[in-house]
Amino acid sequence: MSRVWLQQGLVALGVLAVPSGFILLAGKDPVATWTLLLTYTLGTWNGFSDVLVNAIPLTLLGLGVAVAFRAGIFNIGGDGQLICGAVLAVAVAPILGGLGWAALPLFLMAGAVGGGVAGGLVGWLRTRFSANEIIVTIMMNYVALQMLTWVIRGPLQEPMRIFPRSFAIGEALQLPVLDAGSRLHGGLLVALLAVALLQLVLSRSAFGFRLAVLGENAEAATYAGIKAAPTVVLGLLLSGALGGLAGAVEIAGVFHKLEDNFAAGFGLSAIAVALMARLQPWAIPFTAILFGVFYVGSGALQRQIGLPFPLVWIIQGVVILAFLASRAMQTRTLRVA
Amino acid sequence: MSLAGPPLLELRGITRRFPGVLANDDVSLTLARGEVLGLLGENGAGKSTLMSILAGLIAPDSGAVLISGRETVLPSPLAAAAAGIGMVHQHFKLIGAMSVRDNLALGDVRWGRFTVDYPELTVSIGRLAVELQMEVDFDAVIDDLPVGRQQQVEILKALSRNPAILILDEPTAVLTPHERDGLFRMLARLKARGAGIVLISHRLEDVIEGCDRAVVMRQGRIVGGGPVAGLDRADLVRMVIGDDLAEIERRPGAAGAPVLRADGLVLRRPNGTIAVDGASFDLRAGEIVALCGVDGNGQGELVQMLAGMLRPHAGGLTYWLHGREIAGPLSAAALRQLGLGHVAEDRLRHAVVPNFSLVANWLLTALFHGGLAPRGWLNLATAEARCGAAVRDYDVKAPGNGVPIRQLSGGNQQKLVLARELHGAPELVLAAHPTRGLDVRTIAFVQRELLRARDRGAAVLLLSADLNEVWAIADRVMVMAAGHLHGPVPVAETSRQEVGRWMTGHA
Repeated sequence: MSRVWLQQGLVALGVLAVPSGFILLAGKDPVATWTLLLTYTLGTWNGFSDVLVNAIPLTLLGLGVAVAFRAGIFNIGGDGQLICGAVLAVAVAPILGGLGWAALPLFLMAGAVGGGVAGGLVGWLRTRFSANEIIVTIMMNYVALQMLTWVIRGPLQEPMRIFPRSFAIGEALQLPVLDAGSRLHGGLLVALLAVALLQLVLSRSAFGFRLAVLGENAEAATYAGIKAAPTVVLGLLLSGALGGLAGAVEIAGVFHKLEDNFAAGFGLSAIAVALMARLQPWAIPFTAILFGVFYVGSGALQRQIGLPFPLVWIIQGVVILAFLASRAMQTRTLRVA
Repeated sequence: MSLAGPPLLELRGITRRFPGVLANDDVSLTLARGEVLGLLGENGAGKSTLMSILAGLIAPDSGAVLISGRETVLPSPLAAAAAGIGMVHQHFKLIGAMSVRDNLALGDVRWGRFTVDYPELTVSIGRLAVELQMEVDFDAVIDDLPVGRQQQVEILKALSRNPAILILDEPTAVLTPHERDGLFRMLARLKARGAGIVLISHRLEDVIEGCDRAVVMRQGRIVGGGPVAGLDRADLVRMVIGDDLAEIERRPGAAGAPVLRADGLVLRRPNGTIAVDGASFDLRAGEIVALCGVDGNGQGELVQMLAGMLRPHAGGLTYWLHGREIAGPLSAAALRQLGLGHVAEDRLRHAVVPNFSLVANWLLTALFHGGLAPRGWLNLATAEARCGAAVRDYDVKAPGNGVPIRQLSGGNQQKLVLARELHGAPELVLAAHPTRGLDVRTIAFVQRELLRARDRGAAVLLLSADLNEVWAIADRVMVMAAGHLHGPVPVAETSRQEVGRWMTGHA
């Protein structure tokens, strides 16, 4: 037991030490930098509410990654699925406008459908043609990005047809701001609800069990009569739906319209978020907040002491490496019995 | 035994604790040059742990290992190999995706430190294989080989290093009588050269025929032992279980209506060779039909076809389950819904998910016919209760139901699989090597359970290479050789000699 904690401690130390080295290289004081990063993001409401705003899509995308990884499927397509969800939701927004209280849930659902179709398509390609889902999802990211570029200059462009962005969605479709003066919106509750539901599905449902068997020992799944194909398609559909939901939430809560760079590239960070949470849904909001801290903190560092933004990517890389290392060490200690 | 000098190997007060289990409790033993020591004990008695310590896989909590009188620390398998200790593991340590040749080369600097001298390796190990009368296909990929063939590779790998001390953990469990004779001849040759050999086995015949001395472990301690000369089967059984074992009472079954009919089943392997070439037979309610064969002759594939894991390329399959006639082939999913019980041949590959807890492994197949997932949600309380009851009834030794099943010894894993597959009174039971690697007491228990399943009307197919087992519980016997099926014929109307001839392809 104590050995595990020691390992975890070393990993955490590594996560702090390596970026500190880069901060030193950039000619700044690591201690002052970390202090600033933490006091702004965790010590001020301005900073922390912004952390939460970032943590919302990271949580939803992280859940999507976790669902797929449980089944041993590597869904790298979070960004693409997020865009697909957002585009479909905005496309149907004009129809939803007059539906009263049901408009917002339907808007979010449309997002989930958009992402789900994108994810399910990957699942179908994988089961039907044995296509490698890593390659397909990465390529789909580019397809989705190009589609976004087109729709906001074409079918969904704002009525004046001047700027490369869509019309703004109606008030009824916008998630309420939770605290006037901050950007924190109702997407927080959507994300927490998704966490609870997914925790239930993964740990208590037959579907979640099938996913886990498939991920751990696909041959045992054959033996036990678990049909791999529908499980894979459904798993990727759910994974994509969570990404699409993240897209709709971003539109409904933050942007209110499609524009070129509304998708901030959270998809890759979401992989680190899910891995650090050890694919446990309940832990994902916490790791999402941690990455929110890095995102918001990096922005603050850039503004206040001129430290370049890529720090967040360095930290992310270190975290993924550290996670994989600690995981490997654990398998080694647990192997013999 | 040896008057001059210290023994080849001495263990002094070895103790090793795992969470919840004292696997080795102050174990001391010696091994002389030119001695074959039989290490006996029930599943989970601590034999494998003790040998893993010798192989450098596990460090003891306390105690010392002395080789030729010198205290030796074995921090790694490489150190153990350098100290002249070779080990053939019960669970093979082979790389499944690699060829036999690559596996033999792995970790052995004799074939070159940076490149591998494959021709030299092939010639050298090929010669050894001829001596052992084993057939080796150097290009075969491990995962494509049946378990028996995989073990041959393990044995070859260990013997190719010419170890001074050779440890074999259940080496004969998956070998045919012919291969077993070859192994024992090789051991005799090693012994004559002064090597010391430790043979872990549940087969008492192995100890009686092949060992000089026996040591018996129970619950982590050494509880007895002595020279094998003058001991018989009953003596050994008494030493192992501390009690007499009641003989299985052989009663004929009352066969009823057919439960399964195979009609000209054909299966080709992915490489195009024929695995099963036109198998036709009936399996009837209330009988045990044994399926025998030398590993790799298609009988494993036949069972997987009947279980819905492989789809036949030709031929018909009909099932009569729950009073309905159902035309096959059916998927494994459909058969599970109909309550099939299937003990898979390769436990770690198919029958369990090693990282899952006992309860989750119970759910693995029980999920689909045991009412454990009403409306798609898991009924964990019931699963835990049933798994707990199975752990008690089948005497599964485990630190708890929540631990990963890979922490259990092979025999205890097998007991849980058996309990799961016989739960809920299945009408059709496919049992592939259900007693492989189990101790005598557990074997008798498993065989009684299969007889009980038969007596309440189940049709049981028993895939077995052990003719003692076949004659103990089967009603009819059939044999597969090179994809061809002989029989089935009533056990009473044939002889072991005849079945043995069929197995080796002499009809």
